[in-house]
Amino acid sequence: MIDAVWKLESAKIVAALTRLVGDVGLAEEFSQDALVAAMEQWPAGGMPANPGAWLMSVARRRAIDHIRAERRHDRTHGQLAHDLRHDDTPEHDRDDTLRLMFLSCHPVLPPPARVALTLKLLGGLSTAEIARAFLTGEQVIARRIADAKRTLAEHRVGFDLPGPAEAAGRLASVLEVVYLIFNEGYAAASGDDLMRPGLTLEALRLGGMLAEAAPQPEVLGLLALMEIQASRADARTAPSGEPIPLHEQNRGRWDRLRIRRGFTAMLKARELGGPPGPYLLQAAIAVCHAQAPTAEETDWPQIASLYDLLLRLTPTPVVRLNRAVAVGWAHGPQAGLDLTEDLTADPALRNYHLLPAVRADLLLRLGRPGPARREFQHAAALADNAAERAFLQRRAAALQLEEPEGPLLGPAVAAFLAARPKPTAHSYGQTLRRLRTALGDQTPVAEPTPAEVARVATTAWGATAPRTWNRHLSALRSFGAWTGRPDLTADLTRRPEPPPTPRPPAPTWRDVDVAPRERALWWLLHESAAPVTRVLALNVEDLDLADRRSRTGITWRSRTAALLPELIGGRTRGPLFLSGRRPAPARTTAKADLCPHTGRRRLSYERAEYLFKRATGHTLRTLRLT
Amino acid sequence: MRYLMLSLADENTPAPDERLFAEMGAFIEEMSAKGILLATGGLEPGGLRVTSSGEEFTVTDGPFTEAKEVAVGFALVEVRSEEEVLELARRFRRIVGDGVSEIRRVQ
Repeated sequence: MIDAVWKLESAKIVAALTRLVGDVGLAEEFSQDALVAAMEQWPAGGMPANPGAWLMSVARRRAIDHIRAERRHDRTHGQLAHDLRHDDTPEHDRDDTLRLMFLSCHPVLPPPARVALTLKLLGGLSTAEIARAFLTGEQVIARRIADAKRTLAEHRVGFDLPGPAEAAGRLASVLEVVYLIFNEGYAAASGDDLMRPGLTLEALRLGGMLAEAAPQPEVLGLLALMEIQASRADARTAPSGEPIPLHEQNRGRWDRLRIRRGFTAMLKARELGGPPGPYLLQAAIAVCHAQAPTAEETDWPQIASLYDLLLRLTPTPVVRLNRAVAVGWAHGPQAGLDLTEDLTADPALRNYHLLPAVRADLLLRLGRPGPARREFQHAAALADNAAERAFLQRRAAALQLEEPEGPLLGPAVAAFLAARPKPTAHSYGQTLRRLRTALGDQTPVAEPTPAEVARVATTAWGATAPRTWNRHLSALRSFGAWTGRPDLTADLTRRPEPPPTPRPPAPTWRDVDVAPRERALWWLLHESAAPVTRVLALNVEDLDLADRRSRTGITWRSRTAALLPELIGGRTRGPLFLSGRRPAPARTTAKADLCPHTGRRRLSYERAEYLFKRATGHTLRTLRLT
Repeated sequence: MRYLMLSLADENTPAPDERLFAEMGAFIEEMSAKGILLATGGLEPGGLRVTSSGEEFTVTDGPFTEAKEVAVGFALVEVRSEEEVLELARRFRRIVGDGVSEIRRVQ
């Protein structure tokens, strides 16, 4: 009973306390203190008349004690009392809940942490319950939540609502987390059960909470989407645990109550106006299905056009696949199948079992049971969920076929590679592996059309350099010729390879980060093309900066001109390029090579050469040529 | 899991006043928003009773004097546990005052 009260109230309590103490970890600690106090006192003293308010006031008291201890030195109690005044209006509660959601779904956290923290703080679930829902260990979840709280503290994530610039992105993150929880429950990605209804319920509650706190179109759209999807929960699994596809479901078992709640949320969203977002569009699609009295009466053209809109907002492979299904019903299986062709080579869908499953259905409707069976087998191999895998295997087995004629692609490739020398087999193997994954090992070699092979090649290597493209093409040609299908590559052509370009010297002297003296010297050598010795022999009094020339006949251009003033500084005469140090007293230096201002020596050829070589690996002479 | 909560009343149950309406309104709103309360409504005290026996189909008008307590309201709720439905019932009874509710799990 205490647990039930806790789950109903914890979001409100933790949210209010986070506002008070500014740290979600502390807030949760004080809330837990209150829960412990309830467990100690309620069984003996009886449950208070308003258990939620009781928990809240105990938790607040703990928090205030804590704050007093923290602030004892610098705040008077009067101020403190002012800060901590009660302001528990419903508006405040809603705001706090929203803030807490923004916090627990903050983008600095990795998605699994957002999910765990949201279920903990807003759903009031225990670590053990979350672990059970995600089929993982309690330690894992406990660590995940502790890490998340630490990350929030480290990033100093505040409890304030995000500003207008940030708000949309932050809300999107919250919606994503809620939908993730829903799907984890509704479409149990792994494990033996097809659904974990607990999580579905939690997500619906979170969605309701969010819709109350932030009644925006996308929030209501998500709520509508979840309600309508959840309405099919009972109808989508057979007693044996197998999934039943939407168009075969007994619509009488759809939960009309949930559908109506979904419609209501949808209507509210529409009243708010504005262009529909991704969740609202998905909800609209769900509404189309929910409104059809029978599968045959589904408004597929409408659904297909909603998917068109959705694809514009979220151009993901999964949306494209769903659109292909809708088009398959609206405009015939061939139209749908055509749309799936590009998807077969999409790396994002390589391990997605629904792609071959969808293709299998379309192929079956086209009267091609052979390829359909292979797609079902492929789908079964990819499915993580035991019930779904069994279902797909049965569908494959149900298609009674004659043995296909001729060799199959998988074994043919293996035999072909076995007959090649090892390096060739390795290189060709990479190419042909892609062909096998895209077309399927069980496909007869006689079946793929040149267009299909061209599509596989273009999707896989279309963007590569001509040399790479030609290498893959050679492999395909060689295999085609060997297996008696020289036409396999008929739709593919070699690409002209550009002549090899010489590598530019790296690093070039222009890019090297050096002292102003070196930079000026190098640019002067480069722009003047004068011999190194003559450039080093330059004196300040020789220079005509305005005319960009020296009395000794050396001329330069803009880059040198820009660098010289800094190099000269306040000097009026003496060597232009100076060494870094004064000469040792024992060493005699010609007076002409000494700077009258600094007493430094003229920079020597050897030193200049050494510095350039160290920086670029070249000799100074190359500067005159580059 | 879903439960149907029926609130019962007899002739001694006082008629609802304004305070009760306001509190009940807030409670219903909160529980609906949370996704807990799926449907609710009040029931007329009398109603009709139909009896079928073989070919015979009999309709009787209420109220039915033999029943001491009759259901006057229902709520269909979706909850996590039996504990939770009991907590809801406790809150509900605190608003409506003394009396009896029946709770049945929807199977």
